[in-house]
Amino acid sequence: MALARTYSVALVGVRGHLIEVEADIASGLPAVILVGLPDTALREARDRIRAAIVNSGETWPNSKITVGLSPATLPKRGSGFDLAIAVAILAAAEALPVDAPAGKMFLAELGLDGRLRPVPGVLPAVMAAEAGVDTVIVAAQNVEEAALVPGVQVIGASSLLEVIVWLRGGPPPSPSLDPEPSPGPVPAPAKSKKLDLSEVLGQAEARLAVEICAAGGHNLSLLGPPGAGKTMLAERLPTILPALDVAAALEVTSIHSVAGYLAPGTGLVTVPPFCAPHHTASMAAIVGGGSSVIRPGAASLAHNGILFLDEAPEFHRDVLDALRQPLESGEVVIARASMQAVFPARFTLVLAANPCPCAKTAGPGKTGCSCSPAARRRYLARVSGPLLDRVDVKVRLQPVSRSDMLYDRKFAEPSAVVAQRVVAARERCAARFAGTQWRMNAEVPGPVLRRSYPPKATALQSLDRAMELGQVSARGADKIVRVAWSLADLAGADQPGPDQVNLAIGLWLGVPN
Amino acid sequence: MNEKLTDEAYARAALTYLAEPADRWLAQLIRVSSAAGALDAIKGYRAPVSGPPRTKAGMAMMAAMERWRTRLSELPTPEDVLSFRESGIRLITPEDPEWPGQLADLGEDQPYALWLRGSADLRFNCLRSVAVVGSRAATAYGAYVAAEFGASVAARGVAVVSGGAFGVDAAAHRGALGADGVTIAVLACGVDVPYPAAHAELFDAIAAQGVLVSEWPPGRHVSRLRFLVRNRVIAALAPGTVVVEAAARSGALNTARHARDLNRRLMAVPGPITSDLSAGCHQIVREWQGTLVTSAAEVIEYLSPVSATPMAEAGAGQTTETTHTEQTAKADKPSARRLALSVLPRDQLDLDSARVLDALPRRGGMGTVRLAQRAGLAPATTATLLGQLATGGFVERCDDGWRLRRT
Repeated sequence: MALARTYSVALVGVRGHLIEVEADIASGLPAVILVGLPDTALREARDRIRAAIVNSGETWPNSKITVGLSPATLPKRGSGFDLAIAVAILAAAEALPVDAPAGKMFLAELGLDGRLRPVPGVLPAVMAAEAGVDTVIVAAQNVEEAALVPGVQVIGASSLLEVIVWLRGGPPPSPSLDPEPSPGPVPAPAKSKKLDLSEVLGQAEARLAVEICAAGGHNLSLLGPPGAGKTMLAERLPTILPALDVAAALEVTSIHSVAGYLAPGTGLVTVPPFCAPHHTASMAAIVGGGSSVIRPGAASLAHNGILFLDEAPEFHRDVLDALRQPLESGEVVIARASMQAVFPARFTLVLAANPCPCAKTAGPGKTGCSCSPAARRRYLARVSGPLLDRVDVKVRLQPVSRSDMLYDRKFAEPSAVVAQRVVAARERCAARFAGTQWRMNAEVPGPVLRRSYPPKATALQSLDRAMELGQVSARGADKIVRVAWSLADLAGADQPGPDQVNLAIGLWLGVPN
Repeated sequence: MNEKLTDEAYARAALTYLAEPADRWLAQLIRVSSAAGALDAIKGYRAPVSGPPRTKAGMAMMAAMERWRTRLSELPTPEDVLSFRESGIRLITPEDPEWPGQLADLGEDQPYALWLRGSADLRFNCLRSVAVVGSRAATAYGAYVAAEFGASVAARGVAVVSGGAFGVDAAAHRGALGADGVTIAVLACGVDVPYPAAHAELFDAIAAQGVLVSEWPPGRHVSRLRFLVRNRVIAALAPGTVVVEAAARSGALNTARHARDLNRRLMAVPGPITSDLSAGCHQIVREWQGTLVTSAAEVIEYLSPVSATPMAEAGAGQTTETTHTEQTAKADKPSARRLALSVLPRDQLDLDSARVLDALPRRGGMGTVRLAQRAGLAPATTATLLGQLATGGFVERCDDGWRLRRT
């Protein structure tokens, strides 16, 4: 009868905290006492563990068992501690060498028959292991995800028995035999059809806007009648974005792992995520939250990717306004009485809206729309000014005729061609911002842009003129300069020239403000 | 300015110590016997050459000389005058290349010499400048307009000339400084005396970016009368004067009167008829044929002679070859206001821009792609050209895309 120690991980947001799991077996009435702020799922671990140990052919120590999870003040939740507790109890009962589980981390749920089940959030959990643990044991289904973290030895097992055998000095588990199919939520379906930007015919201006947003990380607003291609454009934005680099991909994969959206065997998510919540989405669904379990919302799931709000004015106003903080700081901070969770949420926002609540403004003559101008204004005003302030590129889409589509066919470029330009533009931009905190043009605040990256006066002549004519406000001018920089990056120019500024003005004037 | 001080320059510097500016008697004396001669005469070495002593004028001159002699104890040595340069204060006289020639319009009231502190060249900057004057107790409206005008004209390379008081003066300076422009403060005290004291920092900022001007030698303090005397210099330095807010009896109106008498272009910003502070402005328009201005663009437009740089090109602060052709094309058109809106005359458009403009329907709007189709251009090029045409005031956005701008 002794004391045994091992490790597991508690997740707060997407940050893993290393938890020391101690099991002490002392004389006394048989009981299992679990201390260290467990939630319901974790408290039920007692029963799962007992059944799993007995069904694995081991004896349950009939004594007073105390399991401590420290730091004791950090709330712990979920079933991922099962394996660690089971191993610690067995070691404390001297069914295993007492030192065998030390320095290792166990992260899996136990079935009553002793099988290991996968848990969400393995990637951020294993990242926390870098601190003082060299080996991580997870369920077979989680191996691929856990192995993404460099410098940690990951062992996958399918049953408690395999783990026991290995800890007794036997062969390591070979997980590939018959892994348990993954339960839990169905992962987001991979897009089966191949999307391409060249399919959006007749919207040359909007295609250009999408390209600018991809290059400079600008937020985008699309305003146009139904059928003009707003959703098509937004869906194709990810196809021209460069693949995520390793650091960004790890962040994205972590969030998706915590949310439980990672399909088994996906590995690292390198494609920028595209997240399009429905307009009835609640605040918690967008920014994250939940009472007992804090889960990432759509804003975080779209981290390093696109958050597309179709029918933006139909969203609840407070939900839209809640996006202002992540747009500002690039992360969502969710505070609860017991803890505070931080989820990264640096996304490109794409808003789409009809110009009118009845959505019948399409076509020449605007047939069928009986909305008063006031009603239309009210409808668009539901997207608040502060949110629109963060949007650099606003496009007004016109309905497309057949001849438009035919004419545009020779100008529409496939996504692959545009993507190459975007990659080059981003490199150019990154070189310019080397040594600063910014990565993309959209992130640079207006005053810095004016002071440190002013375009040549000759290039700004037309902007001055537009300001004199009252077509462009001072705030608009900042955005025009920002977009002109992205255009210059796309054109491979060192500095925005008159053409880039003119084009940026032309795009900006599409905004009725 | 060279290192040595000529006798004449020293004499003029000395005279600023002895006499108040705009002293007609001294002006006569200088005209007749040069500044050096006048100084000698005052010092008592020899009698003034002008005028028989018995006449009435002769008596008055003698009295004036007695008046000036009371200050002889304050007279600096040439070394003293030169030593001001160490503290960044320089002296200019009509012989200096930096002397603004337009001060000659003041006739006998021309300053004897000017003390300057600051980096900007006075003569050069006054050639393209506008005086912005108004009430010390300006309303929020007046302060806003002054700052806005100051910034807008300064951004287009036109210097701001004003006093150093609270209210409109300070707002105009701050506006110009904010736009990284040149601003000139004409003070009624020594250029090293911060009056009002709260403006010490403002004056330092003006000295760094523009120039402080005074007829009074360093160290002199203000007096009520000196402000009025100073106003004629403000009016004379700038080709035009804008009065932003002025009460019916005010210093600003005094400046405006000087500007009118000097045949400078006089402008006034309208205000509510119920506001006492705008009464002077309205008087300028009603009685003195001042021009009513409501924007900095109008100020520039009114200041520019017919053949001079049109406003849009002035905005860039530099002339290119194309602007010359545009200038000549513009100068032929009589309607200045209309031209201010459509900056590039239609004839001067390049071929592609003209094509896009022609492709626009007479009535209603059209989307970019369809316009590209009609003009036979690539959509991206069309979007660029439309942006350019919009800034020229030819086209504007509408629900259906782009349309011709109503003229």
